[in-house]
Parts: sequence; C-alpha cells; structure tokens
Amino acid sequence: MTDLERLDSLKVALGGDILEITNPARRRIFLTVDRAKIASVLTALRDRLGITYVSTISGLDAGDAFEILYHLAEAAHGNVNVRIKIPKADPHVASVTPVLPGAIFYERELQDMFGLVIDGLPDPRPLITSDDWPAGNYPLRKDWKFERPAEIIPGGKK
Amino acid sequence: MLNRLVRWARKKSPWILHLNSGACNACDIEVVAALTPRFDVERLGVLLKATPRHADVIVATGPVTRQIKDRIIRIYEQTPDPKFVVAVGACAMSGCVYRGAYNSLGGLDQVIPVTAYVPGCPARPDAILDGIVKLLGTL
Repeated sequence: MTDLERLDSLKVALGGDILEITNPARRRIFLTVDRAKIASVLTALRDRLGITYVSTISGLDAGDAFEILYHLAEAAHGNVNVRIKIPKADPHVASVTPVLPGAIFYERELQDMFGLVIDGLPDPRPLITSDDWPAGNYPLRKDWKFERPAEIIPGGKK
Repeated sequence: MLNRLVRWARKKSPWILHLNSGACNACDIEVVAALTPRFDVERLGVLLKATPRHADVIVATGPVTRQIKDRIIRIYEQTPDPKFVVAVGACAMSGCVYRGAYNSLGGLDQVIPVTAYVPGCPARPDAILDGIVKLLGTL
C-alpha cells in the first residue's frame, strides 16, 4: 500500500476528526486530532483500517501543553502516528485501553513521568518510579528541578 | 591459636554472593566469566552462593537505584559477620554515567560500606579476581 492510498483511506475513515495530516517521510503519517476524540479515532482505525498495534506512546512537554503521540504500527503500510495536545491547566485524557489493551503500560508511564491523569485506566498505580517516590514530582516536565542529595565520601575528603 | 585458625579458614574459603543493584549486565557477565574453569577460582576456595546468609563476600555490580536501596541494605544485614563488599565496575564505584540521575543514588558506597573497588567498564575477570585476592590479602 502506498502513502497516498493510506492517506485517502485515513481521510475516508476519520473524515472531519482530522485537524492536520502530514506525510513527512515514506511510510510515516502524522495525524493531529482533538484530545476528546482520541478513543473514537483509535476505534475507527482499529475497526475500519485494521490498525491494532500500538507500539508506544511518547510524550512531550511543549511549554503550556503536553503533546502525546500514539505510535501505531501496521503491517500493510508503515506507521500512523496520532498526536493530541493536552493543556497543562487541565491534564486529563481518556484512556485508550478499552480500544487497545496493550496501551496500559505506556499510559501508566505517562502518568508517572508527566503527571497526566488518564481517566478510566483499569490499574492506575505508579509503574516505573520507585516505591518511595515523593508525590507530585514528574521527571519529564521541563519545569521540574532535581536536587541531588549530598554524596557520602567514605573516609572523608582528602 | 584459634584466631590464626579462623583467619586461615576465612582466607581459604571466601564464598561470594553475586549481587546486581541495577547494572547493565556487562559486569555480571564478567563476574560469571570469572567463575568459569578457565580462571579456576575454586583453587582459591571461591564458591558462588545463592543466598547472602551463606556468603562472606558480596560482589556487587551496578549503580544503586532508588528502588533497590532498601533491598541492598537488607541483603547486607543478612550476610553474617565478618562480611566484605567488593564493588565491581565503574558504576558500582561511583555511579558512572548514572551519577546524579533522579532515580540513581550513585555508587554502592552511598548505601553500604565497601571494602574493595574494582575499576573497569566492564571490569575484566582477571581484575575481579585480583580485587578479591587483594581483599583476602588484607585479612
């Protein structure tokens, strides 16, 4: 399947939900959709185009908003990446685990690293931060500052 | 007389525990390579033990992550006295490239007392053996 065929099929399947669509490289397509529609967009991609595999979800702190990119891999064409923007003032997004159950680990990681609130997650416990991690610290936010604890020098400094 | 006997026994049978506190596995592979017949560590009485309760020397690799800190302290406390800790590799010595990361506490000596350091990234099996023999020489 060529890029043009895939672009056409995406436009037919999603219609007005696409805010922006780009094809910057061969077999790579980037969509931007509204964050409220992410579950319905992924449902349409799964049911109408057979895109069932989310290879990862990446996040970015872009100043006043978070950009979340769902990387969907498919055997027939290449990669379809769905981007949503989430304002920092209201960091809520609906879980996509009802559509793609494998997304749960990536969504839990987003919660740990960016402090997003994923609504409707079946198991919202912290995933990768340590057990004694203080609440409200999100390492991948750009405004987060890390205070390094003082190092112990065995035998003292000479 | 008894002290000399005890010291002789300790020097002749240092049982080791291999502990990974967050290493990338390179040092672990070298520790395992040092235990192969090629280096024949059993001539020095070195045996790999599966539990800290049987070990005399903790051979630790890797930087200490924030998550494993309490576990390492527990393992150290389970080891019977006299116990020795050998930090194998640059990460266990100082934290190396992970030093100052938010999820890493740095070297092993930030958490438990360390007797000997073996540098290298990863440390060669010969260097690990040399570190253990030098440790035994201090007894």
